[in-house]
Amino acid sequence: MVLRPARTSADNRDFDDPDDNFDPPAYADNFERSLGEDSIVEIEHEPFHTIDPDTSIAQAMALMMAEGISCLMVSNNGRLMGIFTERDVLNKVASRFEQVKDQPVALVMTHNPTAIFATDPPTVALNLMAIGGFRHLPILDVDQKLAGIIGPRRVLAYLTKRLYEE
Amino acid sequence: MGLREALHKETVADLPLRQPILVGPRTTVAQAADLMREKQHGCVFVVDEHHKPLGKFTQHQLMQLLVNPQSEGDRNPLDNQTTAYGTDLQEAVENVMYRPCETVNLRDTIAHMAQLMNTRQIRYLAVVDDAGAVVGLTGQKGLIEYITDCFPRQIKVQRMISQLSLGSQEGG
Repeated sequence: MVLRPARTSADNRDFDDPDDNFDPPAYADNFERSLGEDSIVEIEHEPFHTIDPDTSIAQAMALMMAEGISCLMVSNNGRLMGIFTERDVLNKVASRFEQVKDQPVALVMTHNPTAIFATDPPTVALNLMAIGGFRHLPILDVDQKLAGIIGPRRVLAYLTKRLYEE
Repeated sequence: MGLREALHKETVADLPLRQPILVGPRTTVAQAADLMREKQHGCVFVVDEHHKPLGKFTQHQLMQLLVNPQSEGDRNPLDNQTTAYGTDLQEAVENVMYRPCETVNLRDTIAHMAQLMNTRQIRYLAVVDDAGAVVGLTGQKGLIEYITDCFPRQIKVQRMISQLSLGSQEGG
């Protein structure tokens, strides 16, 4: 049996181990509490639109324009494969639209997008958006099936609503 | 001070502002798109010689131009003019931009900015000084970053550690 060596003075560094703090977070107001304890589904997450990976780029863009959305989820047999957004259009399509417009959207979509779970609180989404740089986050249910999507517009609507609540 | 109070008291100057892309009215759509791609911004602000905003061109409009090349025009609900679109991305950006360009002052509260963006469905805002010149870019992302910074570090660290793997960023 291997015994863990005793701590030495060299180990007693100043280290703020977050797992040492089991106290519940202290919220200064209900707005903070909502962000920390609401379920992510309190943020409008539907409707959401999915397309097949074989959908053409032009069709995908037309659908986004028709529905007034900036992101499509690409799925195959219910499994999330990627997302296709206005930023993908800017970065990968616009400069060569005529060459790629009839190609499958799988060619230019963002593969393996980060997703969050329906049980996550809004702070998870905010952190991923702010620190991870993810603009749109698919939401999965407990069975890892698509349950919705949130982006900056829906998050802003939620924040504004909470901000002006009594 | 709680977050709600902070948002009602702190100002746009307290937000993490980004350096805006400023272009002249005769800049082409293609040039504007190249700048947006290079800087990874979703919009450019079209300004006059004093850097006062004349309009805004966004990645959404770029997609609209590509999808509806034969459209006779599109009505910007915030503008009484009907703008004609063409297929040629060499079109001057002043012919297709949104106008007027919504702005916030450095001294406006963050809550006011949030309300403005939500009410008018604005994603990007030009930040102007007292002379009306554009000095920064903010928007939905800036607000989210500000709110995230206000939260206890423990939540942030715990959650990031528990992510088994982070997927790709869109556009990457």
